[in-house]
Amino acid sequence: MWGAQRVTFIKQSKQIQIIQLSKKRAKMKLKRFLLRYHPPGIILEYQRKNGEVETKSIDLLNLTPETDIDRLIDQILLEEPLISESRKPALKKLIEKLIEKQMENQDQKFECFKVLRAHLLPLTNCAFNKSGDKFITGSYDRTCKVWDTITGQELLSLEEHKNVVYTMAFNNPFGDKIVTGSFDRTAKIWDANTGQRYHTLKGHKMEIVCLGFDPHGMLVATGSMDHTAKLWDVETGQEIFNLSGHRAEIVSLCFNTDGDKLLTASFDNTAKIWDVCTGQCIFTLEGHTGELSCGQFDFTGDYCLTGSIDRTCKLWDVSSGQCIETFRGHNDEVLDACFNSTGNKLATASADGIARIYNVFTGACISLLQGHENEISKISFNPQGNKIITASSDKTCRLWSVDTGNEVQVLGGHEDEIFSCAFNYEGDTIITGSKDNTCRIWKDQYALKGIKKPQPAAGASAEGATD
Amino acid sequence: MGLLKLLRSLKKNEKEARILVLGLDNAGKTTILKALSEEDISTIMPTQGFNIKALTQDGFKLNVWDIGGQKAIRPYWKNYYENTDGLVYVVDSSDEVRLKECVEELQSLLAEENLKNVPMLVFANKQDLQFALDAEEIMSHLQLMEIKDRTWTIQACSAVTKEGLQEGMEWLVKTISEKK
Repeated sequence: MWGAQRVTFIKQSKQIQIIQLSKKRAKMKLKRFLLRYHPPGIILEYQRKNGEVETKSIDLLNLTPETDIDRLIDQILLEEPLISESRKPALKKLIEKLIEKQMENQDQKFECFKVLRAHLLPLTNCAFNKSGDKFITGSYDRTCKVWDTITGQELLSLEEHKNVVYTMAFNNPFGDKIVTGSFDRTAKIWDANTGQRYHTLKGHKMEIVCLGFDPHGMLVATGSMDHTAKLWDVETGQEIFNLSGHRAEIVSLCFNTDGDKLLTASFDNTAKIWDVCTGQCIFTLEGHTGELSCGQFDFTGDYCLTGSIDRTCKLWDVSSGQCIETFRGHNDEVLDACFNSTGNKLATASADGIARIYNVFTGACISLLQGHENEISKISFNPQGNKIITASSDKTCRLWSVDTGNEVQVLGGHEDEIFSCAFNYEGDTIITGSKDNTCRIWKDQYALKGIKKPQPAAGASAEGATD
Repeated sequence: MGLLKLLRSLKKNEKEARILVLGLDNAGKTTILKALSEEDISTIMPTQGFNIKALTQDGFKLNVWDIGGQKAIRPYWKNYYENTDGLVYVVDSSDEVRLKECVEELQSLLAEENLKNVPMLVFANKQDLQFALDAEEIMSHLQLMEIKDRTWTIQACSAVTKEGLQEGMEWLVKTISEKK
């Protein structure tokens, strides 16, 4: 249901002027509301006079249980001509649902649901599709396997690469394609349902170690140990741009939400922001004094972060390329860092065995996550933003409360260090990939019992809207 | 270590050397590595994937990759050949029955394009066992004299007593640093 492309993406702040103008001559008809839980937002599906159906999103990134809903609704109505007074009650219900969704998963307890022993050699990375019914794992055994999350069954084994399958991704939100990147210097695009291989992306001169689909599913970006990144056309498999300029290995990349910019992080101590339409480098983010380990855009695309072995994480203004904050405190290399889904917090993982949560806007460290007995190599928020998962070479993953900074659970059982971990979009299932050649699925009590938490009317219909 | 460290150890680096330790299963690769880094060697399980140890020898940082030797995972040895500066081939000198298999694996290693010219140290391990063949016998079984395209040596050793380990590694580091 999230298949609708982001044709129009209007940030709340910029909306006011645009909408005042169009209010009188609005010839567009609201068809229905769609909810986007994480980050919270309402998608308007509307029809133009010529019959074309488009969508735009109202991002409600600051939604909390304390939000004055009536005031918020008045503000939305003022700014958004597509929504008439008569939709107020419906809108209220949707916003209440969104708040409820943000509060979910407070009391959850995870248990190991399945140990998957299908790889012959250590796992590398893993990833969920957006709906969470499938996930993929890569391995030193040169395969990428597709798994059914519900049953733990292996659905497909993608076996064409001639070396380690190091990095992989779904074309979320669609989830019908997979891209795999290998030490064999190629990437491959596959049908996620049949395992049929569509394209082999050839051109890199060394190992491919990071990649991703753009949010529209039209492009794939690959980053390589050969110091370059490349953009590829998903449809034809052709190389569109070679992004050269980095002076060392590229180890992390990320598209922004709109899909018009790409961030690359390199061992040359810099990150670069690229214009996806032209292949030109817009900014080189300079300031770190050691190799970068990661880079990520926040949801709005206004900011991005970089982590470095210089023990810091930096926040950058995407419109100017300037560093606006340096997050310090770690006593060893920062090995991973990430934003939460709304972008108001970020978390860092370090070789010092501690993770930290920072307030993005004040730069203050909110919490120290202490408990791991060895270095932490991966960190991420759950989509709801109330939990953090960390993966460590101490053979455990740990879950932390974002509010208190307390360790809420230790996921133990792996026999060797954990290389990768991921939450599904619902936040009720976790996968962990280890050097012990296994992958584990962890589910909370609701997911285990197969209890579907009450779903909000997904396409809470706005039929009858007469705007 | 984490995935990032794997990438850093893949990277070409003037001051660091990437050493690959190969050999049949039960040859003692992991034990040698643990003995070299002064770790406990009393409970070592067959390696299902790989182990990486960072060692320092004569001011040189060595990223030593110990790769599992079981037959089923030998086809994947190729995964690790890239950017190798030095090869350590470990032989169980007491296992005469499997010497033929040991030679075959070595032959195919030596034919690998990615390992061309890479210096090789052969450890004739398990010298502490009563019926172990000595280094000279191992050398002739492995037909080492036929090797013309790389620098090599054979060192008798015992991972359990640690005899011969240092000598072997010193030779390897010296040979690699001369090459770099």
